[in-house]
Amino acid sequence: MNDEIAAPATDRIAIPPETLKMTARDVDVFYGAKQAIEKVSIDIGMDHVTAFIGPSGCGKSTFLRTLNRMNDTIPIARVTGQIELDGENIYDASMDVVQLRARVGMVFQKPNPFPKSIFENVAYGPRIHGLSTSKAELEEIVEKSLVRAGLWDEVKDRLTESGTALSGGQQQRLCIARAIAVDPEVILMDEPCSALDPIATAKIEELIHELRGRYAIVIVTHNMQQAARVSQRTAFFHLGTLVEYGETSDLFTNPQKERTKDYITGRYG
Amino acid sequence: MNAAQFPAREPTDWTTDAMQRRIRARYRAEKRFRIYGLFAVLLSAGFLAFLLITMLSSGARGFTQTEIALPVDFAASDIFLEPAQLEGGDRDQLLAGADFQGLAEQTAIDAYGEDGTMLISNGAWLRLREAVADDPELLRREERIWVQASTEVDFAARGADGLHMTDERRAMIDRYAQLEADGNVRRGLSWTFLSSADSSDPTLVGIWGAFKGSLLTMIVTIALAFPVGVLAAVYLEEYAPKNRWTDLIEVSINNLAAVPSIIFGLLGLAVFINTFHLPRSAAIVGGLTLALMTMPVIVIAGRNAIKTVPPSIRDAALGVGASPVQVLTHHVLPLSLPGILTGTIIGMSRALGETAPLLLIGMRAFVPSPPSGFTDAATVLPVQIFLWSDELDPGFVEKTSAAIIVLLVFLLAMNGIAIWLRNKYEQRW
Ligand SMILES: Nc1ncnc2c1ncn2[C@@H]1O[C@H](COP(=O)(O)OP(=O)(O)O)[C@@H](O)[C@H]1O
Ligand SMILES: [Mg+2]
Repeated sequence: MNDEIAAPATDRIAIPPETLKMTARDVDVFYGAKQAIEKVSIDIGMDHVTAFIGPSGCGKSTFLRTLNRMNDTIPIARVTGQIELDGENIYDASMDVVQLRARVGMVFQKPNPFPKSIFENVAYGPRIHGLSTSKAELEEIVEKSLVRAGLWDEVKDRLTESGTALSGGQQQRLCIARAIAVDPEVILMDEPCSALDPIATAKIEELIHELRGRYAIVIVTHNMQQAARVSQRTAFFHLGTLVEYGETSDLFTNPQKERTKDYITGRYG
Repeated sequence: MNAAQFPAREPTDWTTDAMQRRIRARYRAEKRFRIYGLFAVLLSAGFLAFLLITMLSSGARGFTQTEIALPVDFAASDIFLEPAQLEGGDRDQLLAGADFQGLAEQTAIDAYGEDGTMLISNGAWLRLREAVADDPELLRREERIWVQASTEVDFAARGADGLHMTDERRAMIDRYAQLEADGNVRRGLSWTFLSSADSSDPTLVGIWGAFKGSLLTMIVTIALAFPVGVLAAVYLEEYAPKNRWTDLIEVSINNLAAVPSIIFGLLGLAVFINTFHLPRSAAIVGGLTLALMTMPVIVIAGRNAIKTVPPSIRDAALGVGASPVQVLTHHVLPLSLPGILTGTIIGMSRALGETAPLLLIGMRAFVPSPPSGFTDAATVLPVQIFLWSDELDPGFVEKTSAAIIVLLVFLLAMNGIAIWLRNKYEQRW
């Protein structure tokens, strides 16, 4: 099945089949009559952090949201093409979108903890998916997720306090813990640091480093330095198309396309 | 853009007289504004205090009654019943057949002179019958029984204040003083007022009938208006496609909330009574009619509350794999509940005080016993107030005020519960 799909034209790297997590082929996204994404094909590997960069409005968020079908919640959005998770078409009628979103978790641009306790924020996902059989097990999942999100030491004494009372950076790590708690395979992050100060940003970036390898991570960022710091693969989007995709170090030092070069040298932003 | 386009400006002098005047004017304006606000608050608080004080001072007496002692000699009376007869199953019938009224009147004449019957309430004899029903052995002896005094005695108990004085009144006041000195009258909380229903005699009326009628009506109203209103709000906000039909529904609901209440009464009459043949004057029909009126208020408040739930919360829940229904029940509804409850308070308060539509569906009938169910003839507090305030007998004046107090207490209790619920859920933010 996979062999029939042509390797994406913009791809400068071959991802070994055993680490291939998601593939997109000829994906178009329309908002009503307006096309926001045009013929995007990309492979996303398991062992890497993949960064999507590009000027504002080029469709990074739109494309990211096709990967866990969050676009379904926008009535006018329409997605065509093929997106596979472990070789399974996620837009297939047999795909359960609730399960898909548990497998492909998401962290949003603005930290959005539930107005509930810190514990409840993390426990929510496991609870609705029935991932624990006892209270003790649930507590263990919550602790493990908060530890992985690097938040445990800061909140372990106040798990019953509201998640919205935390600082912005802590809230974002709480949202990451919430995503981790359902044990996803892929984590999508849409500009997770854009609302944070530099210190909180550094913490999140460090966290992304630590999570790498355990989860396939895709991060949207408009900050090229951040892409260079946290990712191993970078995809450059422009005007709804994928212009260039490659090893991060390669792409930044030796861009193949004129538009990529213009962007990374700061000619437009 | 070069500097020549913008000629150099003098630095602003912040200390000139003109500046100082502006500052003073600003302070004055702010102070004035505060005073207006304070005045408005004091004015409305003053009106409220005035209302409460007048109601409480004239209404408190409505909860009390004057009782007068009757030394009833059952053994020597015309009532030829034996205690043993009252053990059987036909007790009520036997009691109903006995002339307790005549006995009460005769006793009053014997004890207090020719015009003795003027001192006791028209319904005083009921007390004798109740006493015998409770203790049949009374039939063998004489017993002092406390019965309701007449309105005249009740007024005399109040003394000279506030009433237009006539010679009869003055005589009655003197007489009351004598009765009091002899220990033949007493005043106390009126159990009759708290436990019975309407009557044509103000000494015998009770508020319990109307209170229970209001309670039953409100139960029907909230049981229907709350779930239907919330579900309609949820559907319109979350599921309804945006097209001409839903626009039409939206406009209709908004207009429905503004329709004068009497129209709902006509609607209730036509639909529930004439078409579905539900019983007239019943709490169920009143409740259904008021539910029609309350529903649009809840729908509008509910939609606004649902709209204020931030989309980021929905995204968050969907992002961890919550289904749309889970997003709704776990997040959207709990977060919008305070707003929904606020709308419910407003709607229910309005429904509780509503009179006009209920008059149309027959709840103005004279209902002498408390309703025992949703389909029994009933009246409600505001209608009862309306009916009593229309009575000529001056004894109804303080009963009306007392009924108003009961209505206000009902309203405060209902709102108190809703506010408590709202605060309980608001803490979750
Ligand atoms: N919900 C939506 N409805 C209509 N148009 C949208 C919506 N979301 C995004 N778009 C449009 O799609 C294009 C891509 O947006 P987006 O994916 O948010 O870009 P980026 O994340 O790269 O800044 C933009 O032109 C934007 O106006
Ligand atoms: Mg974006």
